[in-house]
Amino acid sequence: MKKEFEPKIIAFLCKWCSSAGSDLAGVSRMEYPSNVVPITVMCSGSMSPLYIFSAFNKGADGVLVSGCHPGDCHYIKGNYYARRRIALVKELLQFIGLEPERFKMSWVSAAEGIKYKEVISEFVEEIKPLGPQTKLRREL
Amino acid sequence: MVNLEELKKDAKRILQDKKVKYVIGYRRGVDGYEAIPAFFKAPEECDDLVWDPTCIHNLVRFLRDEKVRKDREKEPDKRPVAIIAKGCDTRAINVLLQEQYISREDVFILGISCEETGVIDGKKLRKKIQGKKIKQIDFNGKDGFSVITEEGKTEVAAKDVMAQRCIECISNYPIDHDIFFGEKKKREPENPFDSLDSLQSMPNEKRWAFWKEHLEKCIRCYACRSVCPMCYCDECVVDTISFAVFADTPAEEKANKIKWLEKSPVSSENFVYHLVRAMHLAGRCIDCGECERVCPVDIPLRHLNKFLEKKAKELFDYQAGFDPEAPALISSFKEEDPEDFIR
Repeated sequence: MKKEFEPKIIAFLCKWCSSAGSDLAGVSRMEYPSNVVPITVMCSGSMSPLYIFSAFNKGADGVLVSGCHPGDCHYIKGNYYARRRIALVKELLQFIGLEPERFKMSWVSAAEGIKYKEVISEFVEEIKPLGPQTKLRREL
Repeated sequence: MVNLEELKKDAKRILQDKKVKYVIGYRRGVDGYEAIPAFFKAPEECDDLVWDPTCIHNLVRFLRDEKVRKDREKEPDKRPVAIIAKGCDTRAINVLLQEQYISREDVFILGISCEETGVIDGKKLRKKIQGKKIKQIDFNGKDGFSVITEEGKTEVAAKDVMAQRCIECISNYPIDHDIFFGEKKKREPENPFDSLDSLQSMPNEKRWAFWKEHLEKCIRCYACRSVCPMCYCDECVVDTISFAVFADTPAEEKANKIKWLEKSPVSSENFVYHLVRAMHLAGRCIDCGECERVCPVDIPLRHLNKFLEKKAKELFDYQAGFDPEAPALISSFKEEDPEDFIR
């Protein structure tokens, strides 16, 4: 039997909301695909575009950046900065020809375990038909 | 028309009055017709100053070198440096002012208007005149340029030999200046993002093939970084060997230290390098086109920067280099910034 392709997704979650949201999904025993490697960052505003490029470079099939809803940032306005920067990253990745589905951003609060589960499930479903990401993967 | 004699006279005067340290300008290069950047330290040297359509270079780059030099000196000469700046170059100065990298007192701007045309693209010109030996190129109003070759004088249309960035130029005269030369006559481009259209209308996979073909060629000479007036960091993220290694740095740390990208010029690493560079120039690039001009393997680097310039305009209504007081693109935000891409 042929094994189905299982994408590897790197999720950068902000410490105060999305990370807690994923934790809630976990302690609530929600079932969602195990394709995600979560990395906690202090704030979505602390996301350097380089982290995203580097994740793709080191073999990620998809990258998710998730932070607090606008207005809820622990650092008051970090996610507003992130929103601008990530919008440009997303456009740029698409411009060089990466499939737009491979990069996603979401707002997940600490109470939204269900939303986190949905975001991940949808993301995995979207990436599966695309197959492995080879465009930016390191060739050395 | 820009009066070159006046430019020389003013340059001489500010040097004689010891108002400025030196003048950064252009003089005739060794090939006889192209201008090269030059530094004029004595008034009598200013006779060598030139201004013609081959003054391609963005001299703002040299303000960085000046700053580095000044910071190292124990008793620096506090006088400003005079610089000959076209419209695009003054935008570059504005970005440096906006980022508080230099202050306005450090620089004395001799603003030159490009008036109705702009500078030439050397490659286009050589193709156009088919290998004839060029002696001189002059501005010729709206019609283009007059090229004097060994066979005589010919007129060439602006759209045939002008640099693409000049065709798409949105600031054909200096925004900020201490002395102004030429006329302030606004010229609007038909489409400021003309060269992007064909690329953007391609399907995703074709665009990928385009970039792959080009970025695979990159030999990572970093000429684009060296020539860029905006690349002024003391330490660059792509120099992965530059992390501090001391006598007691353990072998394990050296091995595990994050290498954001490898030095090897292979496609995947080249992509990371150029993506990072494009992001670092988002909202800062003023489209002087120097990166593309110096690229030894002809990568169309302008497209990357131009694309982000376009997006900054579309999404955030931001244009770099017009107002040194305005907040920078990615260190500011608006409540109503688009977020339809976010789930």
